[in-house]
Amino acid sequence: MRTGPIARTGRRGLLYLALTAGGLLWLYPFLWAVGGSLKSDDDFFATGLDPFTTHPQWSNYSQAWEEGDFGRYFLNTVLFAGGTVVLTVLATAMAGYVLARTEFPGRKAVLALIGATLFLPHGYTIIPVFDLIQRLHLLNTLWALIIVQSASGMVFGTFLFMGYFSTIDRGLEEAARVDGADFHQVFWRIMLPLSGPMLATVALFSCINAWNSFFVPLVFTLSRPDLHTLTVGMFTFLGENSTAWTLVCAGSVITLLPIVAVFLGLQRYFVNGLAGAVKE
Amino acid sequence: MQMTASPLSRRTFLRGSALAAGAVAAGGALSACGSSGSGSGSGSGLAYWDWYVTQAPWVDGEISRFQKAHAGVTVKKTTQVSAKYADLVALAYRSGSTPDVFMVPQSPGLAEQVDRGWLLPLDQWATASWQSRFPAGTFIEGANVFGGKVYSAPLKGSAPQYQLYIHNGVFRTAGLTNPDGSVKTPTTWDEVSAAADAITRKSGGKTYGFGFGNGDNMGLMAWWLDLFVRGAGAPGGAPSGSGTGLDLRVGRWTYASDRSYADFLDLMVQWKQRGYFYPDSLSLSDEAARAFFERGRFGMTVGGVWNQPEWTQHRFTDYSLVTLPSPGATPKAFYYADPVGTGAFAAVSARTKHPQQAFQWVDALTSPAAGRRWVQDLNGVSVYPADNAPAGIDSKPFAAFVAMTAQELTGPVPVIRNPDLAGVAPQAPKSDIGDLVTGVYTGQIKDLQSALSSLAGEKEQLLSTAVAAVAKGGKKAAMTDYVFADWDPTRPYTAAKA
Amino acid sequence: MTLSAPGLRRRPDPAGTPEPAPVRRTGLRRRVRAAGWSYAYLAPMAVLVLAFVVYPIFASLGYTFYQWNGIGSPSNFVGLANFRQVLHDSIFWGAVEHTFVYAFVLVPVQLLIALMLALVLNNPRLRFRMFFRTVYFVPVVTSAAVVGVVMQLMLSNFGDAAGSLFAGTGLTGSHIDWLGDPHTALAVVIAIGIWHTLGYNLVYFMAGLQTIPAELYEAARIDGAGPVRCFFSITLPMLRQVGVVIVVLAFIGSFQVFDLVQVLTGGGPYFATEVVNTYIYHLAFGGGSGSGAVQPDVGLASAASFLYGLLLILFSAAQVLALRRLGRRRAGSAL
Repeated sequence: MRTGPIARTGRRGLLYLALTAGGLLWLYPFLWAVGGSLKSDDDFFATGLDPFTTHPQWSNYSQAWEEGDFGRYFLNTVLFAGGTVVLTVLATAMAGYVLARTEFPGRKAVLALIGATLFLPHGYTIIPVFDLIQRLHLLNTLWALIIVQSASGMVFGTFLFMGYFSTIDRGLEEAARVDGADFHQVFWRIMLPLSGPMLATVALFSCINAWNSFFVPLVFTLSRPDLHTLTVGMFTFLGENSTAWTLVCAGSVITLLPIVAVFLGLQRYFVNGLAGAVKE
Repeated sequence: MQMTASPLSRRTFLRGSALAAGAVAAGGALSACGSSGSGSGSGSGLAYWDWYVTQAPWVDGEISRFQKAHAGVTVKKTTQVSAKYADLVALAYRSGSTPDVFMVPQSPGLAEQVDRGWLLPLDQWATASWQSRFPAGTFIEGANVFGGKVYSAPLKGSAPQYQLYIHNGVFRTAGLTNPDGSVKTPTTWDEVSAAADAITRKSGGKTYGFGFGNGDNMGLMAWWLDLFVRGAGAPGGAPSGSGTGLDLRVGRWTYASDRSYADFLDLMVQWKQRGYFYPDSLSLSDEAARAFFERGRFGMTVGGVWNQPEWTQHRFTDYSLVTLPSPGATPKAFYYADPVGTGAFAAVSARTKHPQQAFQWVDALTSPAAGRRWVQDLNGVSVYPADNAPAGIDSKPFAAFVAMTAQELTGPVPVIRNPDLAGVAPQAPKSDIGDLVTGVYTGQIKDLQSALSSLAGEKEQLLSTAVAAVAKGGKKAAMTDYVFADWDPTRPYTAAKA
Repeated sequence: MTLSAPGLRRRPDPAGTPEPAPVRRTGLRRRVRAAGWSYAYLAPMAVLVLAFVVYPIFASLGYTFYQWNGIGSPSNFVGLANFRQVLHDSIFWGAVEHTFVYAFVLVPVQLLIALMLALVLNNPRLRFRMFFRTVYFVPVVTSAAVVGVVMQLMLSNFGDAAGSLFAGTGLTGSHIDWLGDPHTALAVVIAIGIWHTLGYNLVYFMAGLQTIPAELYEAARIDGAGPVRCFFSITLPMLRQVGVVIVVLAFIGSFQVFDLVQVLTGGGPYFATEVVNTYIYHLAFGGGSGSGAVQPDVGLASAASFLYGLLLILFSAAQVLALRRLGRRRAGSAL
């Protein structure tokens, strides 16, 4: 770098300016939705693309919360997303571990099979899945949602964990074995704790997907509206013939906030986790 | 246990046990959710499914009345996502977790639902004297009755599907008033064009003549065609969906052979080119279009009575409505009452454990008193003519709508002449009339005439395939069953006695 | 288990000595038994994938030979008629074209932006990098449904300003109905698609950049290489492997685009933004309207899905071949 300090400061400033401007543009739809959620109905039509309002209507939130029955949906969504995260993380971590660190007959076949599912068309598979869930007597339970949703994230998570585990130093594992640790201890006490960033990454991905899933919760709780999730509940607002726009915005914000919070909490580990997975 | 990574182990253990505790807690909650009562009525609770959102206040009112009148019976309503309603009902039957009573989905056809054994015959309770409270012709084979048994009952009356809605304020601003100060409502194509022109020009581009909201992509543009071509003499109109919209004089779709269709579409393109349409109409959602009309961003739109409750709620009643704008002074074709299409409202599942209570609920929902409340809540017209009396309806536009039922004629109904047609379930073309109108509007369809004739041909092909399938099943069905050569579309149809 | 992990995978010998010759037949059973816990650990994932991903794909293959509305069991066998119908359907081919346009515009543009952003945000001296990273990632966590509702509201319903944005600049004659004009709708959908999923590729690239040892840059700098040199001779080559994965994932995602299109335009106006998955959806679930007056055609939908799968497999094979050839040429030129 042979540029002078002033030029460098100037360039820096320009960079920050560009990042901020881009960021504002990037976040604009969110700002607008948040703004819209605080407007009165008339304001909403009068202000157009301006996200700001002079008279914020905080009551929109309480109204949306109550009318949308968001309290119940919220709990369902937390259980659904939480269950999906636990099941996905455990199953993919275990599978990723044995695929990365152990040798067994059929390993290549398993890899080929799950790799192929990434490319195969999924088409109209809802009826076979529905029949299966029904035969398991899980229809209209949150378990059905968790299992079906988790299954959809299995392959990707397994590949991520596989990539991550294959980069962890073998010395640790071998030292543990010398100390007499068995297969389970090695995995649960050494490998899994070491994979924190990847745990966070897979947890985040599966949480995002479960949180935003619409079709799965709709179909598998069809007779149990009390088990619906936030995304399905949102449709209460998008009712057929009338729509309360400001409440739609408030509902969207309510739906989004928790998942954004989860992301903020996990993002520290997130890039590191991915970096671990792609190292090799 | 001595492990090399001992500093890690305690934390890991703690974390692991926390995880396990969490899983147990979640498991408890999950199974608790799973075990409490299932859909198909526990106790004497009746599970009831509908897709009514805006009409929910009416349904809820009826439920509370019903529960008061029938001690010990509770109705558990589930309002499903309307776009998925038919799928959810089908899946419910697949799994056996069906509601006791449900609003009849439009797909599959009622005949197929009966064939599949979904529905409980109601004859035990739906006696002749019970049936007699409904207008004559309600319980005919092919509509509510299949194989001689009653399966469902109607709530709604038949009324002109679409109207041209006129924003009085916009019209006044544009100077479109009569000498007495009232708004000059257009009734002919030319008057409509002139009004749109005046509104668009006088406002300097701030207000538009027309607007609509096709953003939900539900074939809404066909409404315009349907409303305008009838007056021009095309009795088939332009309804979306399979097997509807034939010109029953000839038993086929006349999109290409009846010039009314092309005439109106040409006119519509002219309107667009002159800038009469609100420019975002194609991507605007239906709901937003309704809000914009209320706020006077455009002066005219085509829609149905479902527009009215929201406007009334917002205290916006300064609008007028006209139906069947025509090229000439009088319409040459009308809307026709269709006892089959509007017939079935609710039915009872064959799997209900409380058949009698289920019937009582259907009975309550379709009673004259409920029908009157349906009208008073501005949801639409009731199947009972007495319910539709204008007295006591204080909304002027709604009264105008109710009055329009008088302009609806009795038309020929193929399935009444041949009940075997009830099983005819044609496929829908992938690109239907609504798509065609959209394509013409955007300019994507260049050759209008060939698009019209190929769609007419395709629909005819699909219908004849479905008719042939029914005929193959041993029933008597032919394309000639759709021909009523003696029909004059300007007069009520009285069937020639067979 | 007290055995000292006989199933443990050996690290390949760096010297490249060949692995021990395959064990005798009788050894297979022993090896299977010895790896018992490996199978047990694999089982939850394998069972879920087999039951809920693989089996349904094969089960739905059978539908392709029937005309069926999805209720009860299929009974009206039509042979290959569904395939013929799809192959002759211009809307299907239009949808394939739109999907490919979507993918081939979105992937390069999005990856380029993501890579540039990743380079900037990866600089440890940049302040607020966490903050900026969050900002650019956040659209990813929002569901396509919410994105669709908000974007539609902004662009068309309430965006007179958005519509007239260019009206004053003389670029266009008048107000544009962004999502309603067949000339702009697909472009707008693509732009929103880029916005929506850029975050994934941003973090993939950042992860990839973090794996490049800092010493490489140090060494290059000492040798007097500028940032541009560094980028082309260190960053790009080091990112190649990750890059291939990112490109493949981005294409897989783009070829399956559905929610966004469905909520933004539903495939309209007049099929101008119909992509394959909305096409399949419309067949499988009937029309979009209220209570679904349109009969679904599951057989046709499955056939379309199957044909599209074949197309994708062909395309993926071509992609792999192309990448391999590219790799070989690179390797050749390096020699």
